[in-house]
Amino acid sequence: MRVLSLAYVIALGAGIGLASAHYAVAHRPVVGLVKIGAWQTWPSSGGRDIDPYMRAYLARGVHLPLGAGEGVELVAEADDTGQELDGRCRYRIAGTTPPTRAWTLTVNDLEGRVFGPPVSRTGFTDQEIVRDESGMIAIVAASAVQPGNWLPLPGNRRFALRLRLYDTPLSGQAGELRPDMLPRISRVDCG
Amino acid sequence: MIATPMTADPAQDAPPPPPKAGATGRRGGPLSRLGPLTRLGGALRGWLLATLAGLVLAGIVHIVTILLIPRLSESDAASAYLLLGATGRTELVTGPGRGLAELRDADPAVATAACSYDLSGGPMRIVARTGPVPLGLTLHRRGGGVLYAVTDRAAIRGVIEFILLTEEQLAERLTRDGDGQAVRELRIVSDTLEGLVVARALAQRPSDRADAEASAASVECGLAE
Repeated sequence: MRVLSLAYVIALGAGIGLASAHYAVAHRPVVGLVKIGAWQTWPSSGGRDIDPYMRAYLARGVHLPLGAGEGVELVAEADDTGQELDGRCRYRIAGTTPPTRAWTLTVNDLEGRVFGPPVSRTGFTDQEIVRDESGMIAIVAASAVQPGNWLPLPGNRRFALRLRLYDTPLSGQAGELRPDMLPRISRVDCG
Repeated sequence: MIATPMTADPAQDAPPPPPKAGATGRRGGPLSRLGPLTRLGGALRGWLLATLAGLVLAGIVHIVTILLIPRLSESDAASAYLLLGATGRTELVTGPGRGLAELRDADPAVATAACSYDLSGGPMRIVARTGPVPLGLTLHRRGGGVLYAVTDRAAIRGVIEFILLTEEQLAERLTRDGDGQAVRELRIVSDTLEGLVVARALAQRPSDRADAEASAASVECGLAE
């Protein structure tokens, strides 16, 4: 009886403990996450005071996070209404970008890799984009060719957008970002 | 692991009540009808205690696992790029055909170069010269965490230069500093012996690519003396 209950305790402890630890760091952890509209960021990932979950997540792969003071990385896996980003749909990414020396916006798979061919363009930098008279950006993301700033999407797969702000006064203060300072992501239609 | 006997104790203590209750039930006449029920109650109590102990143990295993992953991981950036920088300069990790582990979450517009450091041989001197493209310099310690980050905007006369050392090496340097002499070097203290110096240069236009790669791969990282 004693041996049985001891085995039960150990099995329960090791099973739930290891499974929950794996689940907690298999993807970017929920701990330390800041949501700004459709965008997500982890402000403490680039400092000395990185939290243990982010540290464990980053150590499981070849990651070199942007340092606090170097830049801010924002990830969007869903549009403004909370619907997952889908490569079959057409999206409008429009609005302003926070004050920053340079920024890039890229299309990635859910693991953070860029799509290879046939997706010809992986993203835009602030120097490559055509702005309207008011200085706002307007990008159309779709798998079919679009007029204006066209960001190609991978046909029938889910994707994520990454906005990286380099050398911004908001480095290390990503919590100060507000939704109206970032581009909005709205679904236009789905093919 | 240490916790196993501790948390297992209540569970080990728990089972005894049922046999006792069962024994009295068997001996006393009227109590014999209560026997199976009492025994069931005891077993249930034992099971609840064992489950509770199991959950406590699960919490400990969870925390220990999370804390051990960065120490034991061999698939992190510091391990993947351990051999880079032997030439005294950062080496590119992005771009095709380098035979290195792929950098995850890499920005396709950025040229990234790294140099592995080990302070057991003495302090390191890191020197970066600014170029035509935005350059960022970060220190990633082994096991996670960015020690220090600086961009080319902080460069003085086009140069970013600092000494990377441990607490003991800093104490030694402080005793060597002459009295009344201003120390002009920037000293960054690392709490780990190993890590990576990472240089990132942004190519804002495709035509800046060559400049970005040259800029990222030209950061000096050699021994300070």
